[in-house]
Amino acid sequence: MMIQAFHLTKVHSSGVKVLDDAYFSAEEGSFVAIIGESRTGKSTLLKMLGGEEKPTSGVLRVDHLDIYNLKSAEKHKWLCDVGMIFPDLKLFPDKTVQENIEFILQVKGAANEDQGEAIAKLLSRAGLGSKAQSKPKDLSSGEQRMVLALRAMIFRPRLLLADDPFQGLDEKAASVLFKFLLELNKAGSTVVLSTQQMSFWGEAKRMAGEASILWVKLEHGKIHPLEEKTGSAE
Amino acid sequence: MNFISRFFFVLKEGFLQIFRTRGLSTAVIVIVAATLIQLSLFLGISRVLDHALGSAREKFEMALFFTPSADASDRKRVQDLLNADLRVASVKVVTKEAALEEFRKDPEIDRMLQALGENPLTDSFSVMLRKESSENLDDLVEKLKSDPKIEEVSYGKSEWEAVSNITRVVRWVGFFLGGFVFLTALFIVSNTLSIALWARREDLVLLSRMGAPTWMRWGPYLWEGVFQGFLGALMVVVFLEAVRHGAVVALKNYGGLDVILALPSSEWWSLYMTLVLLGMILGSLGAFLALQKKWVKELQ
Repeated sequence: MMIQAFHLTKVHSSGVKVLDDAYFSAEEGSFVAIIGESRTGKSTLLKMLGGEEKPTSGVLRVDHLDIYNLKSAEKHKWLCDVGMIFPDLKLFPDKTVQENIEFILQVKGAANEDQGEAIAKLLSRAGLGSKAQSKPKDLSSGEQRMVLALRAMIFRPRLLLADDPFQGLDEKAASVLFKFLLELNKAGSTVVLSTQQMSFWGEAKRMAGEASILWVKLEHGKIHPLEEKTGSAE
Repeated sequence: MNFISRFFFVLKEGFLQIFRTRGLSTAVIVIVAATLIQLSLFLGISRVLDHALGSAREKFEMALFFTPSADASDRKRVQDLLNADLRVASVKVVTKEAALEEFRKDPEIDRMLQALGENPLTDSFSVMLRKESSENLDDLVEKLKSDPKIEEVSYGKSEWEAVSNITRVVRWVGFFLGGFVFLTALFIVSNTLSIALWARREDLVLLSRMGAPTWMRWGPYLWEGVFQGFLGALMVVVFLEAVRHGAVVALKNYGGLDVILALPSSEWWSLYMTLVLLGMILGSLGAFLALQKKWVKELQ
């Protein structure tokens, strides 16, 4: 999905301006990493892109759509192509890990006969093969976050919004998750992730290899390109 | 996802929700059952009266008395007139001799007739009427009354009209009281289901944020209401059936009072089906109204 945002401003009800006439764009199939300190508006920006926080002013087009003026049915249809890894998007507490992941396939209309095998494979790669039948309360917070991420990616969304997806993950799990994100992007999905871990930058650049990632920094309500794209593609 | 997959998804999620909030589900089932017990009283009484009215109409007949001067040709003319009328089921000729025989069966009347010396009765027709036409006989009666060879036309219009009026009054009173009980129950059921929704508000928000379509968000809750209504109605049907059997046995000992419960089985089944339907409507409407609450809509 292509994202275009101009003159984007967001003032919270508390009066705090988190985005101030910001510009942001992402090509279809691109990988954008937003780096910024805590409380600089990264989560707000991602929620805006996911249709959850209406900008105070400005123009925002996702997939050429004015997502805040879609009818309810159109909005839900559009959301079927969007995956979100947001800290407040919890797992269903009464469903097992496997059921939680199966459930999103049903919600997104992507359920199929081979899904059991695909889920088992994904869980195994994430080191959660033995936790398929566990309930969320039996998982560590890191494991829960990994399942949340897998749930957002399993249906191969055209746009994945990941808000600080590595928070709470150990180094190994974070690198596994980053690999998943790169694979998803390689398969054609647009990936927008945010992180406040500056240390992640160097490691990610090394892991990205051939992949092309656009690094931007969110600071004082503005979005600045951090440096040239990493990777050699495009 | 095709229709069948959607249907099974809604069924599964609805059932799971019932078990997750067992306490509230039990409360809804009990409220539905209590409401239907009250409604079954109105419906039951109305049906018993309908049945009584129907029976009265089946026995509905007209007696037609000729003047002493009427001869065989007059009787034939009137009989042909009656037979040609679609509202008439059959015409039985009762000669004055046959009528006298019938009256003499009562020793009291027999003594009186002996004192008179001669037969004071006249020839008459006993006219059986079709029950569906019992409300629309005035023109036929007027026509017969205007015949100079007919002395009297007698039929129990006032009796069945009285039964019919009572039935009508009972039905209207039942309708208003039943409607009031139903609306009160609907208010309580929808508020109880609102509490269940409040307990699961995070799931509802999650579904909405995931992009779940309306049928997926609403379907399980509506099905939950339908199923709870069905269970409440089932409890009432089992209870009523047990009470009916018990009452028939008990009332037999009191001078055949069991006749008031002697509705045909089809009537009872129809009453039970009505209660099941009402229970399911109550549950589903309650769930629908709960989903229409402002705070629920804001969650989505």
